[in-house]
Amino acid sequence: MHPLNWLIVVVYLAYVVYDGLRRSRGTQHLEGYFLASRSLPWWAVGLSVMATQLSAVTMIGTTGQGATDGMRFVQFYFGLPLAMVILGVTLVPFMHGAKVFTAYEYLERRFDAKTRSLTAFLFLVSRGMSCGTIIAAPAVVFTAIFGWPLGWSVALMGIPTILYTVIGGVQAVTWADVKQMVLIVVAVFAIFVVLVVRIPVPADDALAIAGAAGRLRVFDLSFNLTDTYTLWSGIIGGTFLMLSYFGTDQSQVQRYLTAKSVDEARSSLLMSAYWKIPLQALILLVGVLVFVFYQFHEPPVLYNPAHERRAREAQPAQYQEIQARYATAVADRQVAARALADARRADAESPNYAAAATSLRQREAAVTAVRGEALALAERVTGEPSRDVNYIIPRFVLDQLPIGLAGLFVAGVMAAAMSSIAAELNSLASTTVIDFYRRWVRPEATDAHFLGVSKLATAVWGLFACIVATYAASLGSLIEVVNRFGSFFYGSILGVFLLAMIPRAGALGAFVGLITGMATVAVVNFGAPSVSFLWHNVIGAVTVVVVGMLMPGPRREATAAR
Amino acid sequence: MAQPPASVPPDPRADAARFRTTLARVMAVQVVTLLLLWLLQRWYSV
Repeated sequence: MHPLNWLIVVVYLAYVVYDGLRRSRGTQHLEGYFLASRSLPWWAVGLSVMATQLSAVTMIGTTGQGATDGMRFVQFYFGLPLAMVILGVTLVPFMHGAKVFTAYEYLERRFDAKTRSLTAFLFLVSRGMSCGTIIAAPAVVFTAIFGWPLGWSVALMGIPTILYTVIGGVQAVTWADVKQMVLIVVAVFAIFVVLVVRIPVPADDALAIAGAAGRLRVFDLSFNLTDTYTLWSGIIGGTFLMLSYFGTDQSQVQRYLTAKSVDEARSSLLMSAYWKIPLQALILLVGVLVFVFYQFHEPPVLYNPAHERRAREAQPAQYQEIQARYATAVADRQVAARALADARRADAESPNYAAAATSLRQREAAVTAVRGEALALAERVTGEPSRDVNYIIPRFVLDQLPIGLAGLFVAGVMAAAMSSIAAELNSLASTTVIDFYRRWVRPEATDAHFLGVSKLATAVWGLFACIVATYAASLGSLIEVVNRFGSFFYGSILGVFLLAMIPRAGALGAFVGLITGMATVAVVNFGAPSVSFLWHNVIGAVTVVVVGMLMPGPRREATAAR
Repeated sequence: MAQPPASVPPDPRADAARFRTTLARVMAVQVVTLLLLWLLQRWYSV
């Protein structure tokens, strides 16, 4: 990468740390450290909510998915706006009004200590691991592209994030998120503009090529429980998932607990409701345009440069033979793409246009088949999975973008990773200190003592995340187990919070419902593994509410206690 | 037995009205977005 690109990355990292240190004022008390003394404006909280949810995987993986699979992934977010509105009138007023530090603290006030501790424990296990994977995803890509040791890539993002999160608390996290979100959007727009300029056909033709190749298919109306990306999975399953994530996950709840008032907290969530789907569509469209760009420029046969190098060195003759066939297939596809554009300009209703589209699809299938052989070769040679969707956009950016923009993109990917990690470290520390240390270990201590422990907890979780990220490859199966385990309880925790808003629900019902909900999802997961995880959230939440309502309510519990 | 906190939404009717207004606005933006995506799909499908 050009030195100017590196300069942009270094300036970004230095500024984020400097700004974090500057924000440490006002964090001399626990409430300031974790909740910014409930003083932040709605727009800052709203951008922080969006930045936390938008991780580096979105920047590199979702754009790559747009290039290979098209726009249909956007259906995943169709439930988000409705979920945000529901939360705005249900959980947000309850949680903000209760003046709690964590979402789980509220559950003890409503139910009992064991329900609080179990939900807080489940959060720590799942988020502790996922924090590592959030750093690992971009770190692995940077390592493959720049040739650094994995530990360096992890440290480059992890250490500055730990620094500003430990020192500045939620103030630093939120204001860094604001700038990082702006940087991310600018980087995505810049790539979009470059693509529009550099694709050698008019935008209308470019979209026609994407449409003919099936990349602009957004809506899938089939009702299929095994497919994650359908309209119904997105609206029903997605609504429950987003309710769980934004309503009960401390990494998000803590964002809007920092708002000045209930109305400001609601407004912050509505920012995501308005902008999430358009932003996600833009990110996928960038991927689609990269696909079109490579119709007219020869793409690499393998996007992962480390795999490309090792395959070429280990099997030079076979690799060269595949590459020659790939070049021919790509050239044929380019001819088909130009023929399609010409046919559309001549008459979009004519049979020639439909025939040109069929021809393009056939050429595209031929390119994919040759690339499949290269991926299989890379897998044999390296012994690693060769799927390279996450490398498509970084490779495009570094090979094709003008000087300066590549640095902006790398800084944008780092910003996306750091904003998500920082929020998670902050929320892991608040849950550790408030729901466990202060609740069970040391209920009586000075505010300064809890503040010191909170900073220590943030640093320990940060180091833990870096260690998980560094060993992500060897921990692969463990991380998968934890992620799968996470899908067992996400909907069930939502069910407990829903029960909390029903006056006749009692503590016993909440606890038994939570256990039953998780067990039901586990049975569905192992009994019908093809059912998409989006439906697990619906099953878990509904089970908890039904079981919770069947158990004795508060009045009968009180009578039994007497 | 712990009870729900006292500081719950003060006026359910005002809350319901605000919810309806917000829902209408958010859904209007989403309908426009989805309509544009649908037009994109329909216009360029072959």
